[in-house]
Amino acid sequence: MSKSESGMTRRDFMRLAAYAAVGTAVGAEALAGEGMPPAKRSRVVLVRDENAVTAAGEINADVVRRMIDRGISELAGADDPVQCWRQLVGTPKLVGIKTNVWGNLPTPAAVEQAVEQRLRDAGAAKGRIPKTDRDARRVLADCDVLINARPLRSHHWSGIGGCIKNHIMFAPRPSAYHPDSCADLASVWSLPPVKGKTRLNILVALTPLFYGRGPHHWDPRYVWPYKGIFLSRDPVAVDALGAHLLAAKRRLELGEDKPITPAKHIRMAQVRHNLGVADLNRIDFVKVGWEKDALI
Amino acid sequence: MVHIRHTETRSVTLIWALCACVCLAPMSGCKQEAMELHQLVPAEVNGWEAAGEGTVYDRDTLFDYIDGGAELYLAYGFRRMLAARFERNGHPAIVADVFDMGSSEDAFGVFSAERQDPEAGIGQGSEYAAGLLRFWKGRVFVSVWAEEETAATEEAVRALGARMAEAIESSGPPPQLLNLLPSEGLADTRVRYFHDHLSLNLYYFLADDNILGLGERTEAVLAPYETAEETMRLLLVRYPTAEEVGRGLDGFLAAYLPEAGDTGIAQVESGSWVAAQSVGDVVMVTFDAPSRRRAEELLSAVRTKLEEQTT
Repeated sequence: MSKSESGMTRRDFMRLAAYAAVGTAVGAEALAGEGMPPAKRSRVVLVRDENAVTAAGEINADVVRRMIDRGISELAGADDPVQCWRQLVGTPKLVGIKTNVWGNLPTPAAVEQAVEQRLRDAGAAKGRIPKTDRDARRVLADCDVLINARPLRSHHWSGIGGCIKNHIMFAPRPSAYHPDSCADLASVWSLPPVKGKTRLNILVALTPLFYGRGPHHWDPRYVWPYKGIFLSRDPVAVDALGAHLLAAKRRLELGEDKPITPAKHIRMAQVRHNLGVADLNRIDFVKVGWEKDALI
Repeated sequence: MVHIRHTETRSVTLIWALCACVCLAPMSGCKQEAMELHQLVPAEVNGWEAAGEGTVYDRDTLFDYIDGGAELYLAYGFRRMLAARFERNGHPAIVADVFDMGSSEDAFGVFSAERQDPEAGIGQGSEYAAGLLRFWKGRVFVSVWAEEETAATEEAVRALGARMAEAIESSGPPPQLLNLLPSEGLADTRVRYFHDHLSLNLYYFLADDNILGLGERTEAVLAPYETAEETMRLLLVRYPTAEEVGRGLDGFLAAYLPEAGDTGIAQVESGSWVAAQSVGDVVMVTFDAPSRRRAEELLSAVRTKLEEQTT
């Protein structure tokens, strides 16, 4: 068992941070453990647009559509977004969208509509495109391709609610994944209705929640208009950057008193479940668009 | 048992409840206590009316209501809770969540977990901000939350909380371990009380592994001490047996501070000092101390307090 899997301490994280600060790869090697081939890297695109959210908090659907187009082009490395979608999803029998319906911060309709439209433009969906959150086990079970789209937010127990966690509704008993701060959430991605089907992860950071309180983990003081959308094929990499963003925002607004616990399920997704790349040093991070207050 | 102050508005329901309790007592003590949680919640406040009877959840079903949020309460002695929704035409809804935490110490603990806002003057400790009222009294912890904050919802949330606090007849002591905290420099509204290592990691990530041997039978407080420049932290853990005290201290030193040797103190990567000692049934650890002297002074102050309390 690697050090990263069995017993990281606060001091280990201090050392990793120090390594990262001087630009060495030693920290990366220490974190990688035995689960991940050293050469593997992942690409994450962050698109931001200052017009994505109005001053009143309303989401601009046209801007969001353009952001996703630009993001998918950066991710796939081609100019035509429709062609990029075609390359990404192929010609599935049935493509579905895994959303998130959490009442205070659901997957925005603008994101769902933009994805649906491009799936149709790419010829990936002729008829109905099933999309759901809570009913994923039934509604999305027959899909051979999934698009995973949800908002970024803090989570009391697992640290962040991101793309890895979004597939928990495919599990027969989601609470079975809670032990040890949800350390083994990534194992959900090995369940038959999920395994190998997710072609794109969209982590919506238009108005992320960086800290929550109370039984319902909601406090409007801690929502901010970041006006960004992360896209990646790798759910672990996109969550690692999402966690990095929330931690940066917390340090800025709340100081060191309310740190995000190093999100164990993201690290375990790499070192124990080999689902993707959690190590920031192994993520090719591409930022496009609005640069103000990017934080990461 | 939760003790309830009965009001006239609830007298009819109360008589029914008492009759039902007598009838059902041989069948289900749980049912009896569930009905008492209902008794804490009024039918109406400031024009907001309770939408139905509310729903009771226990340790097995709390996930159905708040999913991962349930783990906070399960990490304490949570027994059951009542979720009640209040509605008023043209206004945002208000949600009242009433938790029977099993003991006043654990009601305080779950209150302390997220405490940060100004005191609201309700129950034995409370706070209100941004539409959320949290308070504890006796073994009950209550959250009252407006789905959107307005001047009217704030008034109603506070009134609802005050009514429920009044209905909880019995107060209860906060954790005794708090009495060991030296007062100088203590940021007392940010003291956290808990039992297990996953809770500790939420407030101050220490280690993936449970190197202090924390669990449901241990009590712990994490207390920040502030100076003009920095915040240092004091962790106190009370163990049920002397053997567990020894294992806790040894486990911590071996995994986290091996260079400390017999001194129990060392400077770590951040440049700050960490020190650990045991005294009686308590292991005490300072983190982020700006100097060796400051770390030792804080532990010495705890030792003095403990000796004062045992003599």
